[in-house]
Amino acid sequence: MDRLDTLRGPVPPRPHDARAIAALAANPGCERRAVLDAAGVDKDATAAHLGFPAPFGQSAFAITRGNAFEALVKENGCAELLRLLRDLLGLPVESAGYTDLGDMAGDPPAHRRHEHTRRLIDRSAAEADDDGTLYDHPLLRLEIAGHTAYLEPDVVAFRLGGAFHVVEVKSFAVVDGQAEPEKVAAAARQAAVYVLALRTMLEELGHDPLRVSHEIVLVCPENFANRPVATLVDVRRELAVLRRQLARMTRVGRIVDALPPGLTFDLAPGPDGAPARPVAELRDAVRRVDARYAPECLSTCDLCFFCRDEAAGRGSTELLGRQVRDALGGVATVDEALGLADGSIAPGEGQEEIARLLRLAGRVYAEAG
Amino acid sequence: MSERLDELEERISALRGEIRRAVRARESALTRSLRADLRTAERAWDLALAAHEPPSPGEPHDSRAGGGASARGRGAGPPPGREPEAGGGAGPMLPVRERVHQALTLLGVPSAARMLVAVHGALRAGPLKGTQLASLRRDEERSFRSSPFARPYYLCAALTDRLSASRGLFAVSTWPLERRVVGPLSARVDFLTSAVRVAEHVQRISGPGGEAPPAARRLLARMAQSIPGAVPAGSGFPGAEAVARAARAELDVHAADDAAARAEIARACERLTDAERLFGGTILSLAAAGRPGAERET
Amino acid sequence: MSTLAALARLRAVRTGTAQRLATVRHCHLSDRPMVLIPLRMAGEAAAPLAVMAGTDPARPRLLVVPQPRDRDLRFGFAAELAGVLLPYIEGMQKATETVERRGAEPYERSVDAPQIIVPNAGSAAFVRMLGRSTRFRRAEGPYAVHPSVPTLGRWLTYLGQRAQHPGSSLLLAATEALSLHWATGQSRLEDANLASLVGWIDPPAGMSGAQAAREAEDPLVWPPAGPATDPGFDNEVLAPAIRAYEETRSERAAARVREAVRSQLDPVWRLVWRAVGLLEALPAAPGVASRWEADRGSFSAFAAQLAEGAPPQPKRDGAVGAASRLARMERARSSYDAQRAYDDALVMAEYRLTGEAFAGTVVAAEPDRAEGEGRGRKLRPLVTVRTGDPVRVAPGTRLGTPQRRGQQAEVVSVAGGEVTLKIVKGMGRGASATPGAVPEVGEPVCYAALLEEFQPPPALPAPEDTPWTHGGPPPENPPEAESSEEEWS
Ligand code: SF4
Repeated sequence: MDRLDTLRGPVPPRPHDARAIAALAANPGCERRAVLDAAGVDKDATAAHLGFPAPFGQSAFAITRGNAFEALVKENGCAELLRLLRDLLGLPVESAGYTDLGDMAGDPPAHRRHEHTRRLIDRSAAEADDDGTLYDHPLLRLEIAGHTAYLEPDVVAFRLGGAFHVVEVKSFAVVDGQAEPEKVAAAARQAAVYVLALRTMLEELGHDPLRVSHEIVLVCPENFANRPVATLVDVRRELAVLRRQLARMTRVGRIVDALPPGLTFDLAPGPDGAPARPVAELRDAVRRVDARYAPECLSTCDLCFFCRDEAAGRGSTELLGRQVRDALGGVATVDEALGLADGSIAPGEGQEEIARLLRLAGRVYAEAG
Repeated sequence: MSERLDELEERISALRGEIRRAVRARESALTRSLRADLRTAERAWDLALAAHEPPSPGEPHDSRAGGGASARGRGAGPPPGREPEAGGGAGPMLPVRERVHQALTLLGVPSAARMLVAVHGALRAGPLKGTQLASLRRDEERSFRSSPFARPYYLCAALTDRLSASRGLFAVSTWPLERRVVGPLSARVDFLTSAVRVAEHVQRISGPGGEAPPAARRLLARMAQSIPGAVPAGSGFPGAEAVARAARAELDVHAADDAAARAEIARACERLTDAERLFGGTILSLAAAGRPGAERET
Repeated sequence: MSTLAALARLRAVRTGTAQRLATVRHCHLSDRPMVLIPLRMAGEAAAPLAVMAGTDPARPRLLVVPQPRDRDLRFGFAAELAGVLLPYIEGMQKATETVERRGAEPYERSVDAPQIIVPNAGSAAFVRMLGRSTRFRRAEGPYAVHPSVPTLGRWLTYLGQRAQHPGSSLLLAATEALSLHWATGQSRLEDANLASLVGWIDPPAGMSGAQAAREAEDPLVWPPAGPATDPGFDNEVLAPAIRAYEETRSERAAARVREAVRSQLDPVWRLVWRAVGLLEALPAAPGVASRWEADRGSFSAFAAQLAEGAPPQPKRDGAVGAASRLARMERARSSYDAQRAYDDALVMAEYRLTGEAFAGTVVAAEPDRAEGEGRGRKLRPLVTVRTGDPVRVAPGTRLGTPQRRGQQAEVVSVAGGEVTLKIVKGMGRGASATPGAVPEVGEPVCYAALLEEFQPPPALPAPEDTPWTHGGPPPENPPEAESSEEEWS
């Protein structure tokens, strides 16, 4: 892993939270992202230093709202959550235990908190009854390409009939039984990270990992009131995607080996607090690793504006999105596609069909327009 | 005067634009200095405004106006926890610790700040702010350690099964230890007990046939929501009696188990010093003693 | 995406400006549309922050909720919005025409209908959400609101639902309407940004479309068109202003929130009107009038329902209702697609690429050919068309043609770039073809395997608007009492 440390330079690796881990799977084909993430490079700072700051920001209103809703669900020992689980899963009245795993004296470091979570979950898994039903503020962990990521879920793991479920609290509304599909999908991806972390832990402890259910409990406000409502969401697909991407990241070594020795994305600050690295040098370094830009990057990756600019510079058809690329049968650049359309470029091996279509499209467009 | 205000407003909005630009470009040093400029401009605006339109009596005013008209009448900070802030209107001017004590006494169980604020707001005259509770426990501990048992009661911590102070729960020192410690079922039991107490209080203040104030009924309704059988079918406020009955019914299910677990933790507390028994042990090795619930199994 | 649309995007990249995807306008544009731009408080499902609305580009009305978390202020806002929207909608109901129907009572249809134009699909969805959050309110009882609020809710719900009907123009999202007519040199995702889309289509002087589009992505230059606001604006401008209002509740603080919001909405207001102007510059396609007629019919029917005191629209479609609604939408979709193709050679071009349509020149014709004897004798002319298009229609397929909309032909044979057709519908009863009824040798023609299916006559209200009080499916969830009291927080 020394190689990854060189790539990152003398700054601590950027910790991954569940959202970041879930986002790893957003563009699985991109080597640039895989390498930067594996090395724990701060992509946001990289993008800013390159002069292409990421277009993301979070509104304070949304954060406040999210916190307030979570507090409401969890107040009085998760009383509201308990009501929801009794309705949703038929949790018996006797199962009303609540343990705040985060309630430890002082401000213990993450590994100690994780140990505590581990010990209590181990005990709970070994016990026959469901005495400690709700576990609030567990601290889980997951290995990401050799680095330990601690996951501080706003979730609760609870036991019912010997099985653990992950609860994810989100403040987007479910109106008349429907929520925005992208938001539900994002919540499912995030919860899948927790499921995986919890399963890994049970396995390490010698318990059956499948005791962690693939059905997570999503808690959202219902309609326009603050009253929470719970829904079961199957995250098997998200788990599969996540596993695949994590496996890819452990294989990132092969990509890294092919990179020139000494390559680094070092962002160590100079005396003024800004990264000391000359921008041109950093740009060259980033360009050494192949990207696979797609417009979806615009909502998932800090480097999006940089990669888009790069794709535009190459005249890549990636810019126009997957649908256009599909319609173009994978022709890589705008010039090539237009050349095929006006006949100035002879189709290469396997391009005859798309060339014919493009020429026809050119003719028909001219006739009709 | 209002030209000055207009000028300041222009400057403020220009600064905000620059800050947004700096935030986007991740220029944190610049952002910081711009923010400082903005605060200065805003303060000037506040001052100019205060001079421009004197606050009407009784209307709460922008408290950020340091040195402005609204800051008048506030002495140089009273000791923390004893800040005699005026309650809403005619409410008695009780110090914060007494207000918290009142709310805790009403509930009768270890409670989180959120609950105390809600209860005090709904059932007692005068507001209580969450921020006022932040340093309360620490102040109480300091006072206790300097002269133990000098006061009739202390606002202390509930103790977890690790014998450490619970992060968020307040308790009263005069309560028996069994009540001040919390086991796995205690959160539920204490919530149900609070609901019973609130319901009883609502019944008391509404008198025969009368109606409790809306704030009190709303609090009760919110609590009733998470108690099975407490909310009547259809809509409308749940009756206090029904809430108390439903809460007691569930309490019966948990009471024995909870009492046993609490007694066990309380016994474990015997090895703590007086101060630790109130404000929590800090010896981590105690944590390894583990949860009494596990010992119960053997 | 069709190869044609893909090619248009490629050309847009090369030329730096958007390329036409249509030669005519396929949506109706009212003489007096109302532009409506809603903003939502971040993190909330249906907390309106502001609306800018109006029918006069020079006089926008700005409604603001200085503290969007305050429910009383919100309902006050809803009543204000009703005060802007309802007079516009009700004004459209005044002038009506009588529509005769075969086998049914004649009915009254408004000669015009409201047209609401919002910036993008998100705004249209937010309009629906506002409708949902207000239509169950009551003017009496514990959380009484102004009587206009539930009426507003029903109209917003109606408009939001009608917008999902293919070809309807009662509620238009500017980005969708523009994308129907132009291809940009960026992705569809980026086209959802109205400023950047307009930048491609109509860049300011001295700038390429691509440059204008990039500039439009800077929220400091072009505030987002809503319903979400820019997080930077929220944190640096709006939050302090709302906090100040919260603390003082003064007029001056409310005005500060207002001005902050106005700074975000003014540019969008101009932008939406520019989009309207761009659409206006296109000549209307022939099919637009009949689709608008259907819109007017639907509008009149809903207005009548409201007048009769029908309950608010149910929260969910019943299972049966949902299925039949889906089927209806599909029919409407295919007939809308066919209409556009027949109206517009550029739209037809997409079908030519896939082989579902072809254009060419008539090389042989037998106009007076007939089949059958005596009274059963019918004119069945044969026409042979030479085409360079890749024809993919099998013998026996029914075809229509933009040149003769009433006719249908059947494919007889396809061979070596020549298609022989038999005209099987629309030849009349005469013994010989009327002049011009059959294309002559040398005439350029186009045939397509797209049939403008029989549309329910526009005189009838669309079935989805049939109230259950009039035999429609009963709602599975009758409006619950709690809905009028549910918090709106
Ligand atoms: S923005 Fe660039 S680095 Fe990030 S996923 Fe897309 S192509 Fe890869």
